[in-house]
Amino acid sequence: MTDTNAPSPPIIVEMIKVSKSYPPDIKALADISMTVETGEMFFLIGMSGAGKTTLLKLICNMETPSNGLIEVSGQNIHQLKGKKLARLRQKIGVAYQDFKLLTDRTVAENVAIAMEVSYKKPPIISKRVKDLLAQLQLSDKHDTITGELSRGEQQRVTLARAVANSPTLILVDEPTGNLDATTTEKVMNLLNKCNSSGATIIIATHDESLYRRSNHRIMELHRGKIRQINGGVQV
Amino acid sequence: MNFWFAVLRQVGRNLRQTWASQLMTLLTVSLSVLIFAFFYLIYTNMLNVGGKLGDDLRLIVYLNDEPGPEMQEQLRRKITDFDQVQEIRFISKADAYERFANQLGDNKDVLKDMPTDFLPASVEVVPLKTLRSLNQVKLFSEYLSKLPGTLKVQYGQDWVERFFYFIRLLSIVVILSGSLLILTSIFMVAYTIRLTIMGRQAELELLKLVGATNNYIRTPFMLEGLLQGFFGSSFGLVSLFTLYQWIKTHFSGPGILNLFSFTFFTPHILAVIIIISILLCTVGSYMSMQKFLRI
Repeated sequence: MTDTNAPSPPIIVEMIKVSKSYPPDIKALADISMTVETGEMFFLIGMSGAGKTTLLKLICNMETPSNGLIEVSGQNIHQLKGKKLARLRQKIGVAYQDFKLLTDRTVAENVAIAMEVSYKKPPIISKRVKDLLAQLQLSDKHDTITGELSRGEQQRVTLARAVANSPTLILVDEPTGNLDATTTEKVMNLLNKCNSSGATIIIATHDESLYRRSNHRIMELHRGKIRQINGGVQV
Repeated sequence: MNFWFAVLRQVGRNLRQTWASQLMTLLTVSLSVLIFAFFYLIYTNMLNVGGKLGDDLRLIVYLNDEPGPEMQEQLRRKITDFDQVQEIRFISKADAYERFANQLGDNKDVLKDMPTDFLPASVEVVPLKTLRSLNQVKLFSEYLSKLPGTLKVQYGQDWVERFFYFIRLLSIVVILSGSLLILTSIFMVAYTIRLTIMGRQAELELLKLVGATNNYIRTPFMLEGLLQGFFGSSFGLVSLFTLYQWIKTHFSGPGILNLFSFTFFTPHILAVIIIISILLCTVGSYMSMQKFLRI
């Protein structure tokens, strides 16, 4: 029996009639309305060009919407400025599709950067970096210059950086695009671990194996519009 | 890790990555400070010399005839009509002869066959210390030369005029070198910071995305400007002091430099030059950030 009176978890991401267009007249997203609850793992699926990456960029304020409202942790993220915006961004970890790594820095330095901006102590940073790299099978790459890594390794470094600061919201864009089955499992284990410890995770992917057997909610985008939102067993 | 530790780490990283352009900027700032401070040092010392010359300034009014007590009183009144003076001394022909003889010392025998009244009587006028500019001295001299019974007025015109023109020229050089200092400090630092910003665009973008505050991103650049100003000016001033010491050592002995006590800047002036350089370099850094740092 379901308890209908139980309080629902607070909403961490809310989008109301959000549209995004690029000049001259390219509609990337149209009338997107959705909510993601705190602690949820949420899958965003769709073909290439469906608008998954744009949606993630809107949530983390890398892009501004053409229309509509986006709230993260109850705050209109596109109206935030200065310290308030910086503080909110510290709580959002993003693993970008194009990695955004500093290719002339070591793996450890790249992962540490997310913690340095929130003034974590060097011993804590060092321990966390080692721990994350071990989980992602990158321990031997600790001092390797990131530009010398394979794409699969770079992808894992990006993910390590995204989760390093223990953010409350983690946005992951195609996390397993360049990975084999074993490493994909390691990555998903790490994300599940973060999710279990309370982080909300939004994963944009077209890799069916990631969400096929999960019970998490799935939203499918098609040409910038929501095709359907499902419980996760079947789409 | 606190804010300043993070900022200093960033500064250290920036300096390591762009050390060549940083070094060029440092040398340019040092050279500008050295050029400016060099001329300013000469200028301030010349002003001191001018001040001392002014203390010794006296106008000598040679008279046709020896003035009697009544005439002396009239002259005194006429002179003070123009302006207050510090002192008026009447020198009779005999006094003038005696002074001259004393100045000749052992050679005073040459005056043996000369009459004791061959030198003209004169009035020595010591102007007030407020009478400093060349124009004022000239006007006073012209006024004195028109007094009845005046033969000639002397105050070392040529020398004083040349000295005042030299001071004026020096002040122009100081202003020009000061402008050079301002321009080079601001633009060189702005240019270096711009290069750093361009070279670290990807990193700055990432810092913004992972939640770095504006202060976290901007402060290292401001600090770089500040360090450029501090080390650039200090290096320039140390070079000038070394040069000053070298000149003092190598040109000691009888010479023009020993006619006057040539001094280095006081700690107060040194501090002012360093602070101004720091401000200028920080302004340069700030300008560059405002223009090129999009956060």
